[in-house]
Amino acid sequence: MTISNEVESEVVEQVQGKAADNAIDFETFHEKSHFWGRLTIWSVIIFTMSLPLYLSFGLGFHPGWSSILAGFMAYAAIVAFVWVIEPISYYPTLGVSGTYLAFLTGNIGNMCLPSASIAQSVVGAEPGTRKGEITATLAISAASIVNTVFLLFVILGGSYLITMMPDSLTAAFKFVLPAIFGGVIAQFALQKPLWGVIGIAFGLFVNLGPVPRPLQTFLCILGTVVVCMLLEKMKNKKTA
Amino acid sequence: MIETMKVANSFPMWIIAMLVVGTVIFQAVMFIRIASRASADVGLTKSEVRAAVRTGAISSLGPSFAIIIVAISLITFIGNPVTLMRIGIVGSAPIETVGASLGAQAAGVDLGSPEFSPQAFTNAVWVMTLGGMGWLLFTALFTKSLGKMEAKVAKKKSNVTLMKAVSTAAMIGAFSYLGGSEMVKGVNESIVFVVAFLVMPVILWASNRFKASWLKEWSLGLIIVVGISVGYLLL
Repeated sequence: MTISNEVESEVVEQVQGKAADNAIDFETFHEKSHFWGRLTIWSVIIFTMSLPLYLSFGLGFHPGWSSILAGFMAYAAIVAFVWVIEPISYYPTLGVSGTYLAFLTGNIGNMCLPSASIAQSVVGAEPGTRKGEITATLAISAASIVNTVFLLFVILGGSYLITMMPDSLTAAFKFVLPAIFGGVIAQFALQKPLWGVIGIAFGLFVNLGPVPRPLQTFLCILGTVVVCMLLEKMKNKKTA
Repeated sequence: MIETMKVANSFPMWIIAMLVVGTVIFQAVMFIRIASRASADVGLTKSEVRAAVRTGAISSLGPSFAIIIVAISLITFIGNPVTLMRIGIVGSAPIETVGASLGAQAAGVDLGSPEFSPQAFTNAVWVMTLGGMGWLLFTALFTKSLGKMEAKVAKKKSNVTLMKAVSTAAMIGAFSYLGGSEMVKGVNESIVFVVAFLVMPVILWASNRFKASWLKEWSLGLIIVVGISVGYLLL
């Protein structure tokens, strides 16, 4: 699919006003996801790069490549492993379209995944199925829009509202994360109690045990998947 | 520092930041459109499509608020537009703060110190930009290969059942990791985690018992309110 073709067909559909009820199948959905996903991510790569380039060469504040490199190397030592490991680890739950969405908008664990899994349980879709992927896409898109508009609004004018909030209340906002994770794990544990126990055991182990920080997410997901699959296999043998 | 903030909040900065968040919103709108068009093919009704969108929007309110409270702290260091741009895309406020500090330090000053010059600011922006680029590049380049691998596996019927099970287990693993990292932060976090773990089944039970599916859509929002309230009392 070339850019001009896809944009042209989009425009034609828009003009004829039939885009909304023009149904497509799941394979076409994936093709279109790749197209729009890549187009938007490459655009953001170019836009974000233009900012330091403008500061360095447009305004003449270039700090020198050696100090950029020094800072980047220090930062990369912390995050470089995560660049690769995160998209791979989250892929089985996000799917093609979810990956494009979640890795552009960010907040994967604290916003995108919880929104997707609650929406899947609302419409009765399982993760890893086609229905599950479409449901997750709808939920993550909506979450991304709300999050971005909210951020825009606060940065443009409302930030003083938050500075007016009592400190004790702002401090309590750090409990949003444990609440989300506890709630969502409970939702899964209701369906698969044993899997929940295995997951939490791995979760505590990688966080408390001697596991290097960048490997933790990956090992926890991999460990949980492997042990759960072994259990499933044993169970199938027994019933067979 | 004053001159630096003038540069950081100048008009061209705003334009670039707006282009970035505009693209993020555009992407989400496009994906809602194509996903709605494919919804019939996977057996989702029109009302289920609306429910999924609604649930996503509601569930993101709590996290958005929490994200923004942390993000506000970045504004004093790197100005409004750069904060908007960095927080608007992949990369959380804490990790961006790390990137900005490392960038400033590599230029020989501390983030937010009086010596924080436009050059140091530029260095910080470079480091944050290049550091955040890794995720974007990997996603742009390799999502298609991941999708091809998945499609190959999905050709066999037994593999589909396996993929479903793997996805569910992967989801449990991901949340357990994230939950574990909260629990090791302290006793209060652990209490909130356990309370949320116990209250969620009650909400889901009530939603089924009273046939109130709206309650399910609000479940994560309610859990967050419960969590903040319990945390507030503990502090």
